[in-house]
Amino acid sequence: MTFGNTIAEMRKVVDFVEKFGATHDIPKGATDDLNLCLDEILNNTISYGYDDQSKHSITVTLSVADGWLMAKIQDDGKPFDPRAPGSAPMRGTMQSRQVGGLGRRFVKALMDEVDYERKRQYNVLTLKKKIVER
Amino acid sequence: MDISEENKGGVTIVEVRGRIDSNSAKTFGDALTNLIKAGRARLIVDLKNIIYISSAGFRALLLAGRAAEEQQGNIALCNLSSEVRRLFDLARFTDLFPIYGSREEGVAKLS
Repeated sequence: MTFGNTIAEMRKVVDFVEKFGATHDIPKGATDDLNLCLDEILNNTISYGYDDQSKHSITVTLSVADGWLMAKIQDDGKPFDPRAPGSAPMRGTMQSRQVGGLGRRFVKALMDEVDYERKRQYNVLTLKKKIVER
Repeated sequence: MDISEENKGGVTIVEVRGRIDSNSAKTFGDALTNLIKAGRARLIVDLKNIIYISSAGFRALLLAGRAAEEQQGNIALCNLSSEVRRLFDLARFTDLFPIYGSREEGVAKLS
């Protein structure tokens, strides 16, 4: 599915993943983890990926094969590889703590594989989750 | 995401249902900070019925925690599922917020 680069449009992705999961009998834990990671990736793209105010399209493609759930995200934003190490360390008091980099930490922990490539003007990110019955 | 609240012995229990994500994090954070600004700065947030909380939700919770501290109040959490607990461990938010196994335990500690 393709949607516009606004936070509100991200709701469509949540529904898309839920419906895909129900259709293909994917354990809810896997689709929930994927939805959380997509929230992190897409929020980052929408918030920081563009220098203009124009409308942009982001495409999310879901597939399942050989016990793997996969999501491919393609956008025409600025080059960004989310596999790069995050920024702020996860420590400090309530007043000093920062949450920058937490999204990348979640993606790294919850997904089994993360592949990235820059193809011409597109970021192409693939998230892979091994499907395990919980 | 839905939010409901009830008072017990001077402690406000806030129950959240659904996803705390990029679209609902502001509503979640505003609900907590509005309670704190209204003088109800001892909060137990019951997360039993959340599906997950993304970094946007963690940021909102952090801002509410700061607001509570400034009011000499306290935010505690209860009823985390193992999946949600894992997210709190990854975020190292278990260092920042007390986590209780039940509402009753949380109310007793904050009263």
